[in-house]
Amino acid sequence: MSAVTLDSTRFGAVQIAAESVIEFSNGLIGLGGSRYALLTSDAGSPFAWLHSMEDADVALPVTNPWLFFSEFAVDLSDGEAERLGVRDPNATDVWVTVRAASRLEDFSANLRAPILVWNGKGHQVINEAQNAPVRASLFPAAMTEQVVAA
Amino acid sequence: MLIVTRRAGEKVMLGDDVVVAVMEIVGSTVRIGIDAPRSVPVYREEIWHAVKEENEAAAQADTGAMQDAANRSG
Repeated sequence: MSAVTLDSTRFGAVQIAAESVIEFSNGLIGLGGSRYALLTSDAGSPFAWLHSMEDADVALPVTNPWLFFSEFAVDLSDGEAERLGVRDPNATDVWVTVRAASRLEDFSANLRAPILVWNGKGHQVINEAQNAPVRASLFPAAMTEQVVAA
Repeated sequence: MLIVTRRAGEKVMLGDDVVVAVMEIVGSTVRIGIDAPRSVPVYREEIWHAVKEENEAAAQADTGAMQDAANRSG
């Protein structure tokens, strides 16, 4: 198992297994890049970082959408599923990008453009499902109050 | 920007591989068919733009903010 070094302005030099590098043949939408790696932070954190292997500055926080949105579903058009060659949804990891903010209630996740990962390949896709907004609140105000109260 | 006039049923080639066809024109709406290689994703512009903006905003996140959010959601 060979290791490669990921250079990061946020995390410094990080050693990762070569096989954990994910190839994005089309990059992230509007952001490009072709090779990324998932950096999982502390155990128990719902967030990971999708970090560029090519640009030390580029890293996007991501999360498992079902941790926050139990009703979440990915719906691809037939043409898109065929184009990408998605055959086994169960063997596909699904991540959504997270927009951070100074206030917790302004954090959001992009349910409209999830990132699918399988066999070392990644694609950011357009989710055709209903109720899949570009900015879905991660911590709705009511929940934030509960957390603060606890 | 290149501007070409096309009627319903006529097509435009982008290089040798991408075909853009005007399928139907009804009132102010034009239905367009696109035939492109698998390696070329096709997006509605407003969705592409919204996702690009969201990706760029996500990439601004700093570790402190994410640590804070992780602590609160644990």
